[in-house]
Amino acid sequence: MSVSVTVRNLEKTFNQFSALRGISLEVNSGELVALLGPSGSGKTTLLRCIAGLEYQNNGSVFFGDINADQLSLRERRIGFVFQQYALFKHMNVADNIAFGLRAKRRAIRPTESAIRLRVEELLNLIQLSGLELRYPSQLSGGQRQRVALARALAIEPRVLLLDEPFGALDAKVRKDLRRWLRELHARTGHTTLFVTHDQDEAFELADRVAILNNGLIEQIGTPSQILGYPKTKFIADFVDGINLKPLKAENIRNNVIELRATSSPQG
Amino acid sequence: MSINIIRRSFSLGLAAVTFAAMLATAPQAFADSSLLNVSYDPTRELYKSINAAFAADWKTKTGETITINQSHGGSGKQARAVIDGLKADVVTLALAGDIDAIAEKAKLLPADWATRLPHNSTPFSSTIVFLVHKGNPKAIKDWGDLAGQGLEVITPNPKTSGGARWNFLAAWAWANKAYGGDEAKTKEYITNLYKNVPVLDTGARGSTTTFAQRGIGDVLISWESDAFLALDEFGADKFEIIVPSISIAAETPVAVIDENAKANGNEKLAKAYLDYLFAPAAQKIAAHQHYRPSDPSAADPADLAKLPKIELVNINDAFGGWAKAQKTYFSDGGVFDLLYKPRS
Amino acid sequence: MRIRVTLILVAVVFLCAFLFLPLAIVFIEAFRKGLFVFMSAFSDPDALAAIRLTLLVAAIAVPFNAIFGVAAAWTIAKFNFRGKNFLLTLIDLPFSISPVISGLVYVLLFGAQGWFGHWLKAHNVEIIFAVPGIVLATIFVTFPFVAREIIPLMQAQGTSEEEAALTLGASGWHTFLHVTLPNIKWALLYGVLLCNARAMGEFGAVSVVSGHIRGKTDTVPLHIEVLYNDYNFTAAFAVATLLASLGLVTLLLKSILEWKFADNLAATHHR
Repeated sequence: MSVSVTVRNLEKTFNQFSALRGISLEVNSGELVALLGPSGSGKTTLLRCIAGLEYQNNGSVFFGDINADQLSLRERRIGFVFQQYALFKHMNVADNIAFGLRAKRRAIRPTESAIRLRVEELLNLIQLSGLELRYPSQLSGGQRQRVALARALAIEPRVLLLDEPFGALDAKVRKDLRRWLRELHARTGHTTLFVTHDQDEAFELADRVAILNNGLIEQIGTPSQILGYPKTKFIADFVDGINLKPLKAENIRNNVIELRATSSPQG
Repeated sequence: MSINIIRRSFSLGLAAVTFAAMLATAPQAFADSSLLNVSYDPTRELYKSINAAFAADWKTKTGETITINQSHGGSGKQARAVIDGLKADVVTLALAGDIDAIAEKAKLLPADWATRLPHNSTPFSSTIVFLVHKGNPKAIKDWGDLAGQGLEVITPNPKTSGGARWNFLAAWAWANKAYGGDEAKTKEYITNLYKNVPVLDTGARGSTTTFAQRGIGDVLISWESDAFLALDEFGADKFEIIVPSISIAAETPVAVIDENAKANGNEKLAKAYLDYLFAPAAQKIAAHQHYRPSDPSAADPADLAKLPKIELVNINDAFGGWAKAQKTYFSDGGVFDLLYKPRS
Repeated sequence: MRIRVTLILVAVVFLCAFLFLPLAIVFIEAFRKGLFVFMSAFSDPDALAAIRLTLLVAAIAVPFNAIFGVAAAWTIAKFNFRGKNFLLTLIDLPFSISPVISGLVYVLLFGAQGWFGHWLKAHNVEIIFAVPGIVLATIFVTFPFVAREIIPLMQAQGTSEEEAALTLGASGWHTFLHVTLPNIKWALLYGVLLCNARAMGEFGAVSVVSGHIRGKTDTVPLHIEVLYNDYNFTAAFAVATLLASLGLVTLLLKSILEWKFADNLAATHHR
């Protein structure tokens, strides 16, 4: 179900400030791409433009063959995970996850029992079964993060967009979640873009990394491409000191394609 | 859960609105027609009695049940409200100048309205006296005493109250006579008098409650009728009336507001109502409530005996009529504005 | 230590003298001549008419201001646009100008000599010195209560929950009903409570546009003044106990809400 994302020559200005200055980007179906850059580089703005939470001044976004500019926010069907998760604090975990399903137009809304089934399935996926009646305030940061992810996955999104997914967590939880997210991605195979300012995170997790600076993509490539051949001095300085073995993406991917066949959430 | 709360509060709100609407539309005292009398401040009790008598009289004559609605306030303020659209069928105000203003500014009745009824359209009049605390501790005898130092005088605001304008002119008339027509001395006296006024209420009744109920001030310059009523209400053991050497004949005229009465279909009723004010029954009620009737023959002699004999000046003779007096003394930038400095 | 005790003492004395004593006097004066005289104040048709009018005015003005207050707060807190600060100032306007002036503005607009006076007269529409004028004046002076209560809360809560709901495919209305409204419900109720207390108690603005026709355009506060000036002091205080009780009930509910509301807010800060 996942689709590719194509961004063509995207420009966005706030008042006088140019946040995006002509960004083009191709993300393949099922790929996991990191948008990395210092603060103010435009990475979050890019993510929000793809989501439809901001309107670009110029350029277009495509989901597969569909021009996303012609879709309203609700029609885009993207799974967005906010930096602070933005869980509905007056709803329990189950209601949070079910929100997108219950918000559907009556004609296409699943029955209440189908919704409950789906929520259970997602709770299993995020390993929080048994916590469905808790409120967000009663969860740890990592648990909230996973609930936000489950809520986004519930609507079977075309693409998954994550804004600083580990920004609000402490170092230990961060490491665990990183691994868990990589596995989850491998299992569900959603085209995924995530924003981060943390180089380790980007290079450890992503299939490809796009490094943004001043509203432009300075370089995009696999971690080894970028680390091996930094294109500009900025990139060289920015990735200086990174020394890691990327998780063997290909291996995991192979594993998980089988997994997908057996427990596809769309099924 | 939340949606339930919202639904519940919504239906609660709906119930409240329905309830209020039911109350609002609950059958009012059923009447064939109703008349609105816009009057000045201290005539509350007078028209309560007269209206009851008139309604009974009208019922026996025509079989119709009528309601007479009352609005009271400072005479100038009330005239302003009629000009601004208050739908008075008749006005019964404190002075002719205020009805002139309605005729002039809103053209709701002809300029010669005063000639349409006897006595310049004045069914009963009054005059201005002083009300002081029992035993007259500050020994106030006449107008001259009011300008003395260390005294607090209560009188309403001439801009909004008719009684206040009569008060001002009565004081002026006394000073004019006492100083042999020396205008500078008269002005100095008036200035000193108003220096003694701590607060200007908008209507005469407001001043009376300020003095009698709240106990502010040493002397109240008051309508004669309201001073007597204060004695009745608060007890003759608390206050007494001081009659000055000279005062003013305070004519309080009435008029049909033709345009409004026509629009309300009340022309006949409005005219009958005002005619009734000149009739013996209303004259008797007015005298009993300490007004000075235009036809004393109908009044109870005991009521008439209570009204003191005072030398009264007349607005036309002493001040050249209301149009002139209003312009000279009470218009913006007039004598009152020049002499009165509010206490800061 | 001594300073603290003195300060507390001063505060208590001050509260007693300026808040508790006047309130107590209202009730003492109302019952001075006994329960029968107290009750008879409420059998007067003019008093009943005033109570009916006040309820009607509140029943229109409060829901109106609740709806428009939420709409204004939503606009200000969730969107960025030119003239936002101007709109904020405009919402505060009724707080910063004297109610009497607000009333006079309506007279200038809708009075017989006012801007729309001729048009209204030609079409036989009564606004000033009738119920519509009283409702309008009340709406004007009570407008800020709901909006002012909600704006800071909405601003503090930000827009991310709404954005989340929209990305999940919810319509604007669904988002408002299921996300925004539950988040502001206590503040909204709080604002409605204050708005209602003021709507029922407003004197100045209503006094200017009422025309003071007894039994027709006198609200409860105006009727109290009428009774007082009629030397009908016991009845004046008896009717005043209605407003005083409304004030006390409002205070009580407000305290309960503050307590509950604080709880509600604490949940969002808990981490």
